[in-house]
Amino acid sequence: MQNQAGPSVPTQLPIPPDPMPLREALRGLRFMLRRGGETLADTMSVETLPKPAADLAGAVLREVGGLARNVDEVASGLAKTILGGRAPPSKTLDALSITQDAGAQFAAAVYVALRTVLRRLGAPGVFVSEAAARAAFDRNIAQPGTDAAPESAAALTVDLLEARVIRGATAGEAAHVPGAALEPVAIFAVMLWLQSARSDDDNEAALDAAADLSVAVAADVAAACQARDPAQIGALYAKLVAHV
Amino acid sequence: MSKLTPHPEAIPATNEPLRIAVRRLRWFKQAFQRHADAYGRDLGCVFEVDEAKLASVFVRWLELIERQKPSDKTERRDFFQFAAALMLRELVSDMPVRASSPPTKAGPDTAAAFWPEGYCCTMFCLSVHSAAMTQEFQAATDIDPAFDDLRHWWSFKENALQDASFSAGFLQMLLGQQPNWVMPDVFRARLTDELSDTTS
Repeated sequence: MQNQAGPSVPTQLPIPPDPMPLREALRGLRFMLRRGGETLADTMSVETLPKPAADLAGAVLREVGGLARNVDEVASGLAKTILGGRAPPSKTLDALSITQDAGAQFAAAVYVALRTVLRRLGAPGVFVSEAAARAAFDRNIAQPGTDAAPESAAALTVDLLEARVIRGATAGEAAHVPGAALEPVAIFAVMLWLQSARSDDDNEAALDAAADLSVAVAADVAAACQARDPAQIGALYAKLVAHV
Repeated sequence: MSKLTPHPEAIPATNEPLRIAVRRLRWFKQAFQRHADAYGRDLGCVFEVDEAKLASVFVRWLELIERQKPSDKTERRDFFQFAAALMLRELVSDMPVRASSPPTKAGPDTAAAFWPEGYCCTMFCLSVHSAAMTQEFQAATDIDPAFDDLRHWWSFKENALQDASFSAGFLQMLLGQQPNWVMPDVFRARLTDELSDTTS
């Protein structure tokens, strides 16, 4: 009997493209526009120019500022749409590590949590690279025998620092943390939070507590991270994780 | 001795035993904020809490209790009391709370009017200690009559500003203990003192 069926139709949709690189690009654009606008406003001393030049420069600045704001709004809107949920997930590092797309979930969690911590530390404008977080996770998890114990979390912390997950902090922003240790303290806080037991209800309070604890031990965190010493960092996690 | 009447609503709900919950910063912060709010309402003032200072206090307190924790289980109950005294020591030494205005509802000759911040921290320590003692040992917390004597509070404020360890002795006194005023924040010194009393 002849097969009457027509040409075969694929039963599965093609794998959707990974939206993360696009998100990263949009965030990079947004960061550049915001930081560039601040720099321009800081460096252009319009008030010192003579009258006609000042009027012209002021008009140009307003025009550029308006353009930047428009692009910023578009970039922010797109980034938010593609980003999806904005709340830090309540999964622990253990739970994240055994998911199918562990690297992507880890990076997304680190991005949202780092932004929250940086806001709490008075540095909301600093750039956070989700791509760098994913690369650090993939590099770390590829090592045999890794699990979510404090030592492994410490090794991952070193990789996050090496990957420069946080970029573009000004001296003023860094100074919000004792010893200007904004970057190590923020990353340490997020990794501490990821290891802590918590429920959906107290997830955000736990992240705030992890940030406060990290600031309280900023000198130790900065020294351990400066030395890129997983043993020291792991010892700090072991000491603090039950107290988040 | 009088019974402590804390604000029960200021103790955050938790599925964990209080002795565990109090060693989590998120619970500790919530409990402290709620006590500051409750006593602020009682006293007619607003207490502002410095969260960064509170976190530093908490970390130092953890380190102190970890360092002094006795290995002998029979000393557990005594150490519960002592842990509250160490907490007051650390709170008073860094004072993470500030009354934004003088209390309007506190009597003129009361501890709360004399030193609202010290009063708030002391009540927090007594309240958490009382709740934990009830949960762990089914024991009510009695407060020494010295609590109502303003002269003790004058001494507390003046001495604690000179030497933070005095606060630990003050809380032990309020809980009816005889502190070792030479080293009121050293658990072993307190035990040695008691031993020497019984053997002399």
